[in-house]
This record gives sequence, C-alpha cells and structure tokens, in this order.
Amino acid sequence: MSLLKLDHVTKRFGGLVAVDRVSLGIRPGEFIGIVGPNGSGKTTLFNVISGVYFPEEGKVFFEDLDITNLPPYKRAPLGIGRTFQIPRPFSSATVRENIAVGAMFGSMSHETSVDDSLEIADRTIERIGLQDHRDKAAGTLTPVEKKLMEIGRALAMKPKLLLMDEAMAGMHPNDIDQMVAFIKRIAEEEKIAVVSMVEHIMRAVVGMAERVIVLHQGRKIVDAPTKEALENPKVVEVYLGHSRKG
Amino acid sequence: MKKQIRKYSPLIPVYAAYLFLFLIGRNLPGMWQLVAMLLFYCALGQAFNIFLGMTGYVDFGYVAFMGVGTYGMALAITRLANVEGLATAIIVIGFVLALFMSTMLSIAVGAVALRLRGAYFAIATIGVNEGFRFLIEGAKIWNGSEGIIFTAQLNQILGREAASALSIFWADVMVLVLAALAAFVTLFYMRSKIGYALTALREDEDAAKVMGINVTKYKIIAFITSACFAGLLGASSWALKTPYVFPPEVFEIHYTIEAIIIVLLGGAGTLLGPVAGGLIYGISKYYLSVFLPGIQLLIFAPIIIVIIVLFPEGVVGMLKSRLKDSTLARFLI
Amino acid sequence: MVLEQLAGNLVQGVVLGSVYGMATMGLSLIFGVLRVVNVGHGAFMMVGAFIALWFFNFLGINPVIAILAAFVIGMGLGFLFYYTAMSRLIKAPELATLLATFAMGVLLQEIVKLIFGSEFRGYNWAVGKISLGITVLPNTKLLACVGSGVIAILLYLWVNKTRAGSAMRSVVEDSEGARVCGVNVGGVYALSFALGIGLTVASGVLLTMFIPVGINPYMGGGYTLKAFVIAVLGGLASPYGAFFGGLVFGIIENGSYTLFALMEGVEPFALTRFLSFVILLAILLIRPTGLLGGK
Repeated sequence: MSLLKLDHVTKRFGGLVAVDRVSLGIRPGEFIGIVGPNGSGKTTLFNVISGVYFPEEGKVFFEDLDITNLPPYKRAPLGIGRTFQIPRPFSSATVRENIAVGAMFGSMSHETSVDDSLEIADRTIERIGLQDHRDKAAGTLTPVEKKLMEIGRALAMKPKLLLMDEAMAGMHPNDIDQMVAFIKRIAEEEKIAVVSMVEHIMRAVVGMAERVIVLHQGRKIVDAPTKEALENPKVVEVYLGHSRKG
Repeated sequence: MKKQIRKYSPLIPVYAAYLFLFLIGRNLPGMWQLVAMLLFYCALGQAFNIFLGMTGYVDFGYVAFMGVGTYGMALAITRLANVEGLATAIIVIGFVLALFMSTMLSIAVGAVALRLRGAYFAIATIGVNEGFRFLIEGAKIWNGSEGIIFTAQLNQILGREAASALSIFWADVMVLVLAALAAFVTLFYMRSKIGYALTALREDEDAAKVMGINVTKYKIIAFITSACFAGLLGASSWALKTPYVFPPEVFEIHYTIEAIIIVLLGGAGTLLGPVAGGLIYGISKYYLSVFLPGIQLLIFAPIIIVIIVLFPEGVVGMLKSRLKDSTLARFLI
Repeated sequence: MVLEQLAGNLVQGVVLGSVYGMATMGLSLIFGVLRVVNVGHGAFMMVGAFIALWFFNFLGINPVIAILAAFVIGMGLGFLFYYTAMSRLIKAPELATLLATFAMGVLLQEIVKLIFGSEFRGYNWAVGKISLGITVLPNTKLLACVGSGVIAILLYLWVNKTRAGSAMRSVVEDSEGARVCGVNVGGVYALSFALGIGLTVASGVLLTMFIPVGINPYMGGGYTLKAFVIAVLGGLASPYGAFFGGLVFGIIENGSYTLFALMEGVEPFALTRFLSFVILLAILLIRPTGLLGGK
C-alpha cells in the first residue's frame, strides 16, 4: 500500500513549468530524500504535497485518497505534517502551547482535548529536550531551538508522513548528525515516513535516506537507493558547477 | 471541579472590578452616570477584543453591529407595542431580535470579508458601517433617514415609571451583565481549541493552515461572537437608554475608534486588557470633557500612534511580561 | 435626444472620474511601494480641501496655485509621519500600520476641527463655464480634470524617467535586491510615502474645484471608501490602474446617481454611496487584484 503517490503532477506559474510530470511513490515508514539545486522545483513539489498549491495536471494520493485539490488544513488531520526551512513558530505563545497546537489539530484531533494536547506537548518536549524552555515564549528561542520545536510541533500532530523542508540548512555538522539520529529514531518508533528536502546530497540525506529522488528543472531524473544515486553520472552532471560535499 | 475553578480564576479580577464599579455607582451620590459610561466602555472593549485582540484583524465597520442591534430593539418595541399581553416580554424579544439581526449582518459581511487577508479585510470593512447606513437611508428602510422614535411605545409597554427606571438604571445593569458575559466568553475561547487556533492564525496564518487549522472557520466564530455582543450592547445601552435611533448617529465611526483605543490601550488579546483600557479611556474622557471639552480624540489619536509604535502590548501586556514569574501571573491573562 | 443625454452623462462621469482617479494615485503608490494601506486617506484629502479654502478665502489665491502649495505641504506631512511613526513599523504586523494610518487620519481631523471648527464651509470661484455641445461644464471642473491628467502624466514621467523613480521601481520589484545594489531603501520608502501623501493632499484641492461646498473636518470618510473602491478596481498597487479605475468609477457613480434620481421611493445620494460599497465587495470577492491588472 502506498502512503503517498504522485501521478504525473505538473504545476505551472504562467509560462513557467515548475514541476513537470513528476510521479513518485512513498511507502509507510520509508525515508526519502528529495534533492535538487535551486530552481529544480523541490519547494513547489513540497507545496503541492502539503496543499499550498494545486497542480494543473496530475493527481496526488494519500493512502489511496485523492487529495489533489484538498486545502492544506484538511491534509493535516489525514496525517501529513510539515516543517519549514525557516522555522515559523507562533512567537507569542509558549513552546508548550506551540507544540500543543500540533496535537490539537493534527491526525488525532477528534480524540484530543486541550488538556490532552498539553500533556502530549509535555511528553514531546521531554523527547526533544526542550524542558528548560517549556514555558518560554517561542519567539525568544535560538534558531536551533526553534528548529527543534518546529519538529516537535510536527511530531505532536502524530503524522504518518513528515515533510521536512531543508531542516538542516545552516546547521553545524555535529548538530546535523545529532538531529539525524534523533529523527531516525523517532520516525522508526512512530512509523513515520519522512521526506527530507535538501539542496545537495549532504550528510543529512546520506545518513537518513534509504532512497533519493533527484529533481532537475522540474523533472525527476533519478529515483534510486541512496548509494546508487550518489554514483549516478546524471546526478554528478546536474551538480557540476555547484560546489560541494556529496 | 477544582480544576475548573482554577481554569476560570482569571475572571476574578475582572468581576471584582465590575462589582467595585457597581457598588461605587450605587452608593456614592452622582457617580452612577460615570460608572455607567465606564461599564459601557469595558463592555465595548471586551466585545471588540474578541475579534481584534484574538485574530489580529481590524473591523473598521464594527459600529454597524451596534447600530443594527439598536434597530432590532427599536423595531421590536414599535411593532409589538400594541400587541396585548406581551408587556415586558417585548424587551426580551427586542434583545433576541437584536441578536438575530447582528448575527445575520455579521454572517453577510463575514462571508465576503473573512476570505480576505489582513489589509484587504480592513478595506472591505471600512465601508460596512457607511454601506449599511446608506442602504437604510437610500432605500428608505425602517423610516430611512428619519429614524425611529419610540419613547411613546416604550412608555406604553412598561408604564412611565418603569420606562424611566430602565433608561437610568436597568439598561446599565444590562451593560454590566454583557461585560461580564463577554469576559467569560473571552476566557472560555482562550482556554479552548478556539483560542489556540486564533492565536496560531494571528501569529502566522499560513503555518496555522498547515498545522490543520481551518482559519476561516475560526475567524468567523470570533467575528460573529464579537458582532453579537455589539448588537446586544446597542440594544441595551443605546435603544433602552435613549429611545430613538437615527442612522447617522448609530453608524458613527467614532465608536469604532473608541473601541480600538480601548483595546489597544489595555492590551489586545488579553482578558484584563479591555477592562483596563475601558477604565483608563472612560475616566480620561470624562475628566477631559469637564476641563477641555471636545478634544479627547485630539489627545487620544497621537496616543494610539505612540502605543502602536512603542507599547504594542498595551498596559496589561506590559504587566504580563513584568510580572511573569509572580503569583499574580495567573490572573494577568 | 436620449443618446445625447447619455453622452453628456458620460462626459460628466469621465471628468469626475479623473479627479477621483488622481485622488487615489497616492493611495496606490503608498501600497505599491510600502505595502501599507493608508486608512486615513480621506483625512489627507480633507486637509487639501481646507488648504484650497484657506488660500481662496483668506489669501485670495486661486486654487490652481493652491494645488502646488498643497502638494508641498502634503509631502512635508508625509515625511513627518514617515519618520516619526511609519519607519518604525516596517517590521510590525499589518494591523499596526492599518491602525497607525487610521490614527493619523483621526489626528488630522481633530487638528483641523480645532483650527477651523466643524461647520460646513465653501468658497466660490466663478470663472464661467464651457459648453461642449452635449453638456455644459463649469470651467472649474474642466480645470480640475485637466489638472488631474497633467499630474498623472508628471507622475508617470517621474517614475519612469528619473533616477529616483527607477530606484523606487527597483524597490517595488525586490526590496532586498535593491538594498544589496546600494539603493537607499529607507529613503525610497520615505520619498514614496511623502509623494503619496503629497498627491493625496493636492487632490483635495482638485476635489474642491469640483465640489466647492460642504468642506468640513469630517468630510474625508466618504472619500476614503471611494478611494478604496477605485484602488481595488484598478489594482491596489498600481497608480495608473488607480487613475483608470477612477474614470470607471466616476462614470458609474454619475450614471447611477442619475438613474436613482429617476426612481421612486429611494434617496439617490445615499443609494449611490451604498452602491459604491457593493462594488467594492464584489471586486474584492471576484478579482481582488483589480479589474485592470496591476500587482
């Protein structure tokens, strides 16, 4: 059974084709990296999956349900969670309240009261190690703490699919390793499929992803297990001219 | 049960303040008028805060809901005055009608305006009070620009004495009840999913959507609630105290301005804020009108600007941050 | 005969609309560059109206010169408000600028009331009329129409042909990019705000050339609403869209007033005001980016 399926999804902005007939499938619990340079269509693809954009062509299925034109707030209860590259906390609310919001409106929203949500938030805070900041206003956290909270908030939604948008961008390599280990552990425990979107095949993706999908100019050019993808000549070519560690 | 009481304990200072005002008004000679005005401003602030404070959206046409509520009461009184045996029930019907009409208007306005974001919403509402007023005058609905005078009918329904007691006392008691009710509803929302959703959408509407919050639904809830209180306020504080209604008076943007001042001054989005704001504004206005009549807006307009630029959280907001770790923090919501 | 009447009506509408359009250009400019909605718009027009009044009744100077003075005073006010308040609110939530501009409007109203009192005033600049065959136009209205057109053209030239204008356009496109290229973004914001206010105040003078009576501190409110209808019609961020939106609105307003006046049981002035509100809502619902394009 596929968790997420994209069928020839195309998204255009005026004359520009941002995503060009992309098809892909993700199974429950899988760990995928979506990789591609700037302008490859990754962000647009993410936005189509989370409902910020609706595609002109093609379909998006979640657990065999057609969600192509479903508004974003209806996708969260289905089990789609998302973090943003630049964290978007609810600044004036406390860390505890922020994370509780995830529980309140996520996949378990029907059975979760405000008090339940606050309890879930407390437990999540313990897991991510932000106990000292529990009652602080989210806006006062450091960038790394905000990223952690963002992930915590998404986890509180009890998602089946977690879309992570460049979550490790700008982080110190040691922090990245820690974060990767942490996410892997939680995702395995909770059986969450994780789609991590990054600009390059960095240590984040290599450490986490079983499979890598490479986008170039809106089209999918590679969809293979990580090791294979790293050695694929097409991938190397795409990144020629772009610096870096791979 | 104990947990429930703790949950609602922030209402204690609010209700204490209202009770205190009431007692002062009743026991000190000549103070009732001032107290009545202060209660009106507190009620106005609590009602307006439910929308402005909790969603962060400004409804510049807010007074239209008060106007419509006034009409509701006026219409009930004039149309039913000659129906046998209804007597005081007519006043109740008046409130129900006011509630109904403000709900209808808020649904009509909300259905259009609430799909729009921030600035566009404000633009859409800027003409609501004008638009509605000119609809009434233009299409000559409900007597058009002549308005409705219903002193005679009110006397007929209640008898001279009761009608008089209504306008100088009981109408103000109604305002007190409304202020207390609005405070309760505010806290109720704050403690429930509604409050969390509103905070989320106020801070970051797009992130809120992705978290599963149906922002339009919650905006509508806050909008209609706030409008209903405005309608009831118009029905009691306007219709029952001064038994006539003229379109240019009840759709006067002045009241929206005052509501904005009160909420900003006290602290938008807080429970105690409107009380603080209502008291500060009301008392300042009262004494200003004694010493320097006619210029209170002249003084308050730059004050609003100063607040926006330098103290956006208002009085209660600032107290909240200062007294964060004290025992009082529980009450400074 | 009817056709003649219609054509005459159209001309009147266009002439009225040109003034409305010009009055809205400032609003669109400020939104286009700073993304700020000037909710106090009408109050600034009112200030212009009083400048015209004062210049004519007390200084004996005709409105055409007053336009210039009003523009300069307006720019001064714009710079003042920008540097005292608006500049600190660039990063603040939308709500803050909405309320701040609103409060500025209220402040202006109260100051004018303090100085001039709240009675309705007017002036009478009788310079004859001109007959256009299908309709007769007082020369003041003709001058107002021409003045509006001239100002619109001047603005176009400034935006497209001067260095300051291109700096402004670059900020509209991409403020961060412009900053990186060395453009003084803060200065552009200040200038654009001041320019927008200057245009708005000047338009108040033009308005009085059209309607030289009923000038009072609270006259602005109705014009704020009209300006928003027009701005939304033409695309909130585009000053030229605003001008054409104004023309369209002028035609609609003039036409509907004539129509309503022919109907029984309605009060045409009030109903026309109601109609403008309906138009606003309709456009916001259907095409908030404006009928005439513009970002």
